[in-house]
Amino acid sequence: MTIIPFLFDVLAYSAIFVLVVLGLGVIASMMGIFNFAHGEFVLLGAYTVYLFIDNGLPVWAGMVAAPLAVGAVGLALERVAIRRFYATPIVAMLGTYAIGLALRETVRSLLGGQFYSVTAPLIGSFSIGEISVSRWRTAVILITVAVMVGCYLLLTRTRFGLQVRAALENPALARASGISTSRVYAATFAFGAALAGLAGGLMVPIYAMSADMGVPFLIKSFLAVMLGGMGSFEGAIAGAALVGATSAALPWAIKPVVADVVVFIIAIAIVKVRPEGLLSKWRN
Amino acid sequence: MNNDDRSSRPLSASRRLFLQRTSLLTGMIALGGGSYLYNPKGVWAAAPIKVGIATDLTGAISWGGIPNSQVAKMVIDQINKGGGLLGRPLQMILEDTATNEQLAVTKVRKLVTQDKVDVVFGGITSSMRNAIKDTIVNRGKTLYIYPQLYEGKECTPYLFCTGPTPAQQCDTLIPWLIKNGGKKFYLPSADYVWPHTLNAYARKAIVKNGGEVIGEEYFPVDHNEYSATVNKIMSSGVNVVFNTTIPPGVAAFFKQLYEAGFLKNGGRLSCVYYDENAITITPPHEVEGLASCLDYFRAINDPFGNQLQAEYGKLFGNTSYNAGSGSTGMYRGIKLWEAAVKEAKSVNREPVAAALDHAKISDGPGGGCEMVPGTRHVKMNMYTAVSKGGKYEIVEKSKGPVMPGECA
Repeated sequence: MTIIPFLFDVLAYSAIFVLVVLGLGVIASMMGIFNFAHGEFVLLGAYTVYLFIDNGLPVWAGMVAAPLAVGAVGLALERVAIRRFYATPIVAMLGTYAIGLALRETVRSLLGGQFYSVTAPLIGSFSIGEISVSRWRTAVILITVAVMVGCYLLLTRTRFGLQVRAALENPALARASGISTSRVYAATFAFGAALAGLAGGLMVPIYAMSADMGVPFLIKSFLAVMLGGMGSFEGAIAGAALVGATSAALPWAIKPVVADVVVFIIAIAIVKVRPEGLLSKWRN
Repeated sequence: MNNDDRSSRPLSASRRLFLQRTSLLTGMIALGGGSYLYNPKGVWAAAPIKVGIATDLTGAISWGGIPNSQVAKMVIDQINKGGGLLGRPLQMILEDTATNEQLAVTKVRKLVTQDKVDVVFGGITSSMRNAIKDTIVNRGKTLYIYPQLYEGKECTPYLFCTGPTPAQQCDTLIPWLIKNGGKKFYLPSADYVWPHTLNAYARKAIVKNGGEVIGEEYFPVDHNEYSATVNKIMSSGVNVVFNTTIPPGVAAFFKQLYEAGFLKNGGRLSCVYYDENAITITPPHEVEGLASCLDYFRAINDPFGNQLQAEYGKLFGNTSYNAGSGSTGMYRGIKLWEAAVKEAKSVNREPVAAALDHAKISDGPGGGCEMVPGTRHVKMNMYTAVSKGGKYEIVEKSKGPVMPGECA
């Protein structure tokens, strides 16, 4: 009877991973910016929820506010700093890394370096036969699916999505057609940041509020984007699902310390076979 | 910028720029980041005794470093208020080692060579202690006092350890766990030196007391997904989870264990670094009944500890005074060193080390304590406490001070 908890846990962890990678994928694939501050955007989302609880406000209100707050921070950062990096992707990596470091250490000093628990809106677990299933993790899986579908529709079916794709594909022609690429980039970056904020807000009850909360996800998130192939939103999600699933599944079979390395080996092997990204054939 | 631009720029401007930048850079290097000097208050006739504190004020270990440095500040101020040491005031030089071993070596080198401190306190993790000890003790010829609970086996001359060791944390706790939890243990751990060495000791203690270890498993230190392990624990009828996974991942682990029904089925959690501060990492219901064994808990509720708490709380409201962050070891370390300096009537390393070897204090967090001669470790009272509704209750006190069992 271990197959059900196994499948549930693989699904739950993949969902969290997809949620984290969504924002990174939007920014990386639509703008070509590797945002090294992504883990800290996730952290800011979590911190927003923590602030709400600390001030006696309901946790779900914090989760609604998290994407808005982090989106606003993202927008401000894009206007002040990120937009200067578009021509130089390497500088963008270093710049966003520095921004991330500043954000992380600021939150750390606000928390006094301490850890705090955040209680989920749904506590405990429900039973299917003899198996206990976490309520909140189930909710996260459902929310992830909804957000994923929402993002996909936004990028493929709306005017904004069309503008975003046009600004990426051919900025000069997009500008000639009356699209303000500068505004589109700002909005895209803010949107990506908001998604990271949402991820942080939803994740914080599963983990704990701490300044390093986004760090373990960052490198594996980049791996996911790389796997999925640059410039492809669906690819990034597929990559995230794969990295999340292997990270959760491998420790069932082999030592966790080894599993951590094997995830990377598998990913590198896939990149070697499919350098254009996981879904390249499907797209063509 | 291309060559034409550069040649068209007036020479003086670029030279000025060069000078500005160089002076800024040299200034930054000379000052370094995160150095703080606390001069004693008041007017003193004698030159100050210099106390170096090297700890992690920033980075991942700042949860321990911040309270640690604040305890040092508080105790040093108390000593100064009481007339100093040997008629001299104490000057505290605080260096932020930033959870970065390479940087820390530079910082302690500054303490011992440039500031010429008389003693160094600090380090939270064992990797930090190992990185800085040679610079302090061998090359710097300075006394080093390490305050944090740790895995033992540190027997470097002139290096004194004032936190609890595996023997002190396991000898009373393991028999209690077997009596109040059960015989089947699982040891989930973070993959670094402290859990490996502690587990080796715990395993011996478990077997000696008639228990058995069902599994011992190591995770990367930043691991945060434990479903496979939770499933193994649930399916193998484990009674006691003796945890050494670390924050922040530990929160996810305890939550998954709780949601799988481990506590509901009567399982017992145990974690020896879980103090009254760490307990905030997890919601109370997820760690109900968790047993810990430390040298001090607020729950001891003794007059000395309560006064210490009140004083610390008044000065530093942002953190609290707890055993797990090395705060108790820091208090003990400074007071034992103070006693040794008084006895030696000197701050020179040889006489102070000789006096520190048998130093003793009658009061401290958790009670008085003393160095075990020849071992550079402290024997101290140990308390077993159990979490109830997010607060600890003391369930057992050691019969007198417990021996550290190191370097004998």
